[in-house]
Parts: sequence; C-alpha cells; structure tokens
Amino acid sequence: MRRASLVVALALLAAASACRKPQPQAKNISEANNVAMRPVRLYFEDGNSLLTAELHNLPLPENPAAAIPLVVREMMKGPGNASLARLFPPDTIVRGAYLLPDGTAFVDLGGATLQQGWGTGTHEELMAVFSLVQTVTTNFAEVKKVRLLVNGEPAETLAGHVWLGRSLRPMASLVEPASR
Amino acid sequence: MKRLILLGLLSIFAAATIVVAQSTTQATLRTQTGDKPVAIARQGGQTYFSAEDVAAALGGSVAADAHGFRVTINNNVAAFGPDSRFGVVRDDLIEMPAPPVVIDNRPFVTMQFFQGFLAKTADLDVVWDERARLLSIRPLQHTIVGVQVSVTNVQGTSKIVFTLSQNAGYAIVKEQSAYTIRFAAQIRPPFAEQAYEDQNVAKISFAGTDARIQLTGADVVGDAYKLENPYRVVLDVRKTSPGPAAPSVPLAPKSVEPSGIHTIVIDPGHGGKDIGATGPGGLLEKDATLAVANKLAAALAVKLGARVILTREDDSVVSLDQRTAVANQYKADLFLSVHMNASTGKGAHGSEVYFLSADASDDLAKKAADAENQSTSGHADTQSDLKLILWDLAQQEYLAESSRFAQSIQEEMNALAGIQNRGIKQAPFKVLVGATMPAALVEVAFISNPDEEAKIRNEQFQNTVVDALTRAVQRYKNDYEARIGIAQPAAAPGPAATPAQPPATQTTGTARTGT
Repeated sequence: MRRASLVVALALLAAASACRKPQPQAKNISEANNVAMRPVRLYFEDGNSLLTAELHNLPLPENPAAAIPLVVREMMKGPGNASLARLFPPDTIVRGAYLLPDGTAFVDLGGATLQQGWGTGTHEELMAVFSLVQTVTTNFAEVKKVRLLVNGEPAETLAGHVWLGRSLRPMASLVEPASR
Repeated sequence: MKRLILLGLLSIFAAATIVVAQSTTQATLRTQTGDKPVAIARQGGQTYFSAEDVAAALGGSVAADAHGFRVTINNNVAAFGPDSRFGVVRDDLIEMPAPPVVIDNRPFVTMQFFQGFLAKTADLDVVWDERARLLSIRPLQHTIVGVQVSVTNVQGTSKIVFTLSQNAGYAIVKEQSAYTIRFAAQIRPPFAEQAYEDQNVAKISFAGTDARIQLTGADVVGDAYKLENPYRVVLDVRKTSPGPAAPSVPLAPKSVEPSGIHTIVIDPGHGGKDIGATGPGGLLEKDATLAVANKLAAALAVKLGARVILTREDDSVVSLDQRTAVANQYKADLFLSVHMNASTGKGAHGSEVYFLSADASDDLAKKAADAENQSTSGHADTQSDLKLILWDLAQQEYLAESSRFAQSIQEEMNALAGIQNRGIKQAPFKVLVGATMPAALVEVAFISNPDEEAKIRNEQFQNTVVDALTRAVQRYKNDYEARIGIAQPAAAPGPAATPAQPPATQTTGTARTGT
C-alpha cells in the first residue's frame, strides 16, 4: 500500500513537472537573477551644456530587459559630481522598461510633474530626453532606439518641444566628444 | 504515509494551477481563404490567440529571440515582447490591453496586436466572436462616420467646423456661392438642412456623402483645412469686399512654381495652461513669446509688406499640431516659432536657432507613405513608394531652406548686444514636424537666467530682438527670391528707429498686411 502511494505520488509529481516545460521567459528570469556589480555610464549635463558620462557601479541582472529600468532609475537620482546637473524633474519615476526584438527599448516614465505638464524650456527638455536615450543605448548594445511613454501611454512631448511620437536614436551633437 | 499523500495532493494542485493558467483550447480562424483552427488561451480576463496560428493562416511566420518575437506577414514585420503591452510596426505603436504571454514556448497575443498590425499594413480588420469562438480577419469595414457641425463668427470670419467620429478623406468643390464637402465615407449627418443667421453662411444641408454650405453671396471666399484629435474639417469663410486686408486663399494645392515669400506664420510658443518655462523672477515664457511675436508680426507686415499670421494672439491654448496646421492651411512660405529657453544651469545664456532634424523628417515621410498605404488598395506599394519619394524630395528641399533660414536668424541674433549666440541646431521638435515650408524655432534667450530674464522683460530689448528677426526674414526672403530668379538681392532693412506698432486689428488665423 505504501509502495503504491509512493508510486502514485511520484507519478503525479512527474506529471506536474511535465507541464512545466522550459520557456524562453524562464531563461530570462534566470538571467534576471544573475546579479553582479557592473559599471554603467550615466549621462548628465555639464558646464558646456553638453552631456557627459559619469561612471557608476550598480548591482545589475544579466538580462538587459531587467537591467534597463534599474540603470534609468539610477540616472534619475542625479549625478555624484556637483558640477553636473540632474535633468529630469526630481519627482520623476521610472515605471518600467521593456526591450523588443527590433532593438526598441520602451521606457515608461511617471511622476506628478511629467503627468501635469512640465514647464521648462527647449534646452532642458532636449537634454533630459537625450540623456536618457544616450544612457540606455550606451549601456545596452541590444538597444538601437528608445521610445518614451508617460504613465504607460504614448506622449506627444514631455514639455512641449521634443517629439516623442517616434523612437529616438542618440544625438552625438549633444554629447561631449570624450563621452561619446 | 500521510506526508506522501499530502505531497501528492500538492502536486496535483500545482499541476492543475499550471493547466488552468496556461491551458489552450481551439477556436476557428476565418480568413478570405477559408477556416483554420487557432489556439486560444484565457488569462486575467483576456483572450489570447496563438501568434503562430494567426500568422501562418495569413502566409506569415513568427520568429523568437532573447527579447521577444517578430511576426512577419507579406514582408511587413511587427515585434512584441513578453513584458510590454506595446508592439511596434514600422515604428508605430500597437497598443494591447495586456502584454503577450508564452504558453508551451508559443507566443499568444490579444487580438489588438493583429488588429493594429493588419490595419496598418494590409487594410484588414480582426473581429472576435466569443459566442461562436470565431476569429475573423476580413477587409476593413468602412463604418458610418458621425458628423457634428458648428458655425461661429469671429470678426467677420465664419468658422464652420465639421467634427467627425473618425478620420475620413474629403474633397471640396467650390461653386459660385456655395462649397460642397464630399466625404470619402458614409456619413451620419446631424440634420438634413439648417439655416443660419450669419453674414457669410446662409444654410448647410446634407445629401448622401455631401455637405453643402450655401453662402450669402458670391463675394464670400474660404480656406479649408483639417485638424486632428478629434478629426475636424474646418472651412473659414469671409467676404472679400471690405478690403484687401484678408485676401482669399485658393483651395487648390500650392502652386508648383515658386513665387517668393509672401505669407509668414509666426508662432508664439506655449499659451493658456501651457505656461512654458518660468523665470526666477516669475516671468512666464508664454507671455514673453506672445509679446515678441506680436511685435514681430507687426514689423514684418509693415516693413516687408508680408501677409503675417499669428498662431495665437492671446493667452489661449493651441495644440502643436494646430500650429503647423495653420501654416499649412494658409500655404505659408515661412514658419517661425518663438520661444524662451530654460536650463538647470543658472549660468546658461544666449540664443539658439533650431530646424527639424533629418531623421524626424524621414519618419514623417514614412508616416505619409503608411497613410497612403491605408487609404489605397491593390497597387498600394507603388503609390506608397511614389508618395515616399515625392514627400522625401519635398522635405529635403524644406530642410535645406530651413537651414538657410536658420542661418539668417543666427547671424542677425549674433549681432544682438549682450546675447551670446549658441548656434544652429537640429532637433526633432514637434512644432516643426509637418510644416510644408521652411520652418525654424528661435530661442531668444534663457528665461531661467536672472540677467536674461530681466532683458526679456525689457521692451527695448524686445524691440531689438524684433529688429534682428525682421532683418533675418528680409535677408532670407531676398536671398531666396534671388535664387529662384524673381527678385534681385536687396539690402536688409536697418534697425528700426521706433518700435513697430501693432496693427489696428488682428485675429488669429486671419491675415494682416502692411500694405
């Protein structure tokens, strides 16, 4: 009887495990958990009104899709160097980020200022948007272009200037030559 | 023994959970070539369809990589990932109510993915009948478009707005004292006929797909244009008899032959609840841009004899799309958006001039080609390519001229005392996208800089800026007209001795001239 129960239980376990076929996403989750300290280059505005890279070391998962939001959140905290300027409003949050096979990274931003309408000028908006684009494309070779969302929805602009109705590629003209 | 039985029960529960959460069933997929089975799954209140089954039924395929999936149908490719409820096709978003799921290594998406994909690439619609468990893919049914009408009169111009429940093409036929708008869709009119006590509009009537606007006389002329979100067809009509201040704009397409710079649209940045940047002393960008733009419009009308149109003349909200729509509507020869800059760095100072970056222009060309694809069938690819080439050529020409225009502005702003010129730059600015004429955006100075904020407040400084911008427009006009052979280069006007006086009347969207 005991042996029969054991056989039944093992058979059920085998049946259960057979239902759990390995999937690509399971592999991604495994990579996502492979966390290690990794160097990243975060972009901020310098005194020449250009974007300069600042090196940060972050515990990051191996999977880029999981690591992108962490890197952007670190950028939102601002620079360590006082001569560099934080570009996004302080209450900006990174709701999530996704990576599609065509090399498009989606970064979903939120926070009261961006939601209610960010009142700032062309320069600050341009530098903020492209600091994010530059940061993501520099640190993740898989990312060719970046699409920004606000509160999970497509947005026309962040502050009335830079068009977000398209995926953005980095603009080298906004970056210090030494940081390109 | 008890422990083993418990383990067995837990295993059953675990297995059952997986089966319930990720089980698939069969439904029917109906295309123009017949019926096929399609695997479906339900999770979180959503119904998901096997991307492979749907793609295969349409002669396509699905490929996976580390970040998601690519669906290819008739050489069109759309991508989606496991965590994102947005897919991408030709850089356009496909919005889904929930991210795709993977079941047994097979990707499943909600039907909105294929709705977006096939509507953008194949003029096909996707409909799910839950009761019959039938997923139908069929040519887009052109539904009946609801129409609302409003007529308002502002200072002699009657604005007739047809608000449509969805995008629809249209053509306008001008008769002696009437306009007929012929919609390219079945419409649901709000009334059969309605009379108006208006100086320009006698009555509006509907018949079939036509809306007929009966004017009060043959001397009433109009301009038509469209606006989006919501989709509107607008007809502005007015009498020509009071004088030359409001010359008619023909409804025919812009002349192919270049004819010089006659109509200029000045766009004061921001407005209404969109205040733009705020200076440390409290000056609002929207007020400063309006002050400079009003003076500039008056100066251009007086000194160049140009027809000048402001996109706003008061503290009103004007969408970015509407600003270029106004310029396109009036078939403007030049578009200048006026802004004040801001930066986190308090020391940032100087003026900047921008024109549209080429990649943004390219995107626009692709969108135009896509739109062409949607509105045609059969030989769509050929028409799309042709449209793309023509649009691209036109945009390249506009970009080249925009660059020259920006150069003129930079050189004149460079001469401004105490204002450092930060040069010409290209950027994907929304307000410049879609302008079918040379277009630039000038950042006069940094409102975020206390010193420059004080200058911007100063009327004399504003006049100096207006002089510089007027000279820039004059220089560009002279240069352009000399290049196309309709005028000889002339000296740019010197600085104005006195501030240009605003004209007696000014109405947004209507012309002002200095002659």
